[in-house]
Amino acid sequence: MGLFDSLFGTRRDQRSAQVAKERLATVLVDDRYKLTPEMKEQMKLDIAEVLARYLPAIDPDQIEVTLLRGEASDHLKADIPLRRAQSDL
Amino acid sequence: MARIITITSGKGGVGKTTTTANLGTALAMQGAKVAVIDADIGLRNLDVVMGLENRIVYDLVDVVEGRARLRQALIKDKRLPELCLMPAAQTRDKDAVSPAQMIELTNQLRQEFDYVLIDSPAGIEGGFRNAIAGADEVVIVTTPEVSAVRDADRIVGLVEAAEKGPPSLIVNRIKPKLVNRGEMLSVDDVLELLAINLIGIVPDDETIVTSTNRGEAVVYDQGSLAGRAFLNIARRLAGEDVPFMAITDQQSVFERLFGMFGRRRS
Repeated sequence: MGLFDSLFGTRRDQRSAQVAKERLATVLVDDRYKLTPEMKEQMKLDIAEVLARYLPAIDPDQIEVTLLRGEASDHLKADIPLRRAQSDL
Repeated sequence: MARIITITSGKGGVGKTTTTANLGTALAMQGAKVAVIDADIGLRNLDVVMGLENRIVYDLVDVVEGRARLRQALIKDKRLPELCLMPAAQTRDKDAVSPAQMIELTNQLRQEFDYVLIDSPAGIEGGFRNAIAGADEVVIVTTPEVSAVRDADRIVGLVEAAEKGPPSLIVNRIKPKLVNRGEMLSVDDVLELLAINLIGIVPDDETIVTSTNRGEAVVYDQGSLAGRAFLNIARRLAGEDVPFMAITDQQSVFERLFGMFGRRRS
């Protein structure tokens, strides 16, 4: 495994136990909150729609929504890339 | 007054019946009076695993429906006089018994035993509900596989919803070689995902196959790692503080020495 791979390894480079653990971490919280993949997709569309009122257009396909289990409480993590603002602003 | 402990898993084939048979045997070996109940109505199995299949006259449904008294349906173990099995009916289905009837049954057994272990059917429907209805405590068995862990988590939620108190966990069929290579979820991984109390780690062990073939509990086999693991779990159930045995690869002395100087994996 090269240095690049070890620094920026993707799932393919990970050991299968690590992949299993990450997949389970996601699916267990989704199960507990009864959050289906369809609901996740709809949530992304809704997030994009609301944010579009305040920020330049956001691509719902770029949004990543993850539920995370925590010690005291669980979290919803949303990664929402913004389209770069025009430089002449 | 007995403690009623249900052994369940969600997913089938992870070792519930083997666990029930061995914990029942181990507790009886410690001198406790133990009844093991097969709650998998229609898919009777605890009897063959314990080698008692030829002694069945009455079953759980006969007792619940009043055709037999409790004593008549309890089969004495071959070796341990303080260990009894209540077999499941084979020709009926899960709906032959209600949760209220299971509570009634377990309350009757409570008077006469120190432990009542209930072998739950797989799944989350009626049979599972029946199996946990009378339980004071729930033990969840899982294996380090994505499907089994996911189902175990469903069961954790259902047990909590049924207000049975926090369940405890047995991780069964750990393969140390695979875990060391990072190709199998470790006990720590599973614990982190399920966030419940660990009560046992059972290594994958071929002696389970041979002892089950003969209808004998593996806890009688002194050399068996799985047998030792089940004995330890029984002691923990009884309240003893027993350290978890190190599940290591069966390495050669050379590998062991090398391992001491080389990478240390946990």
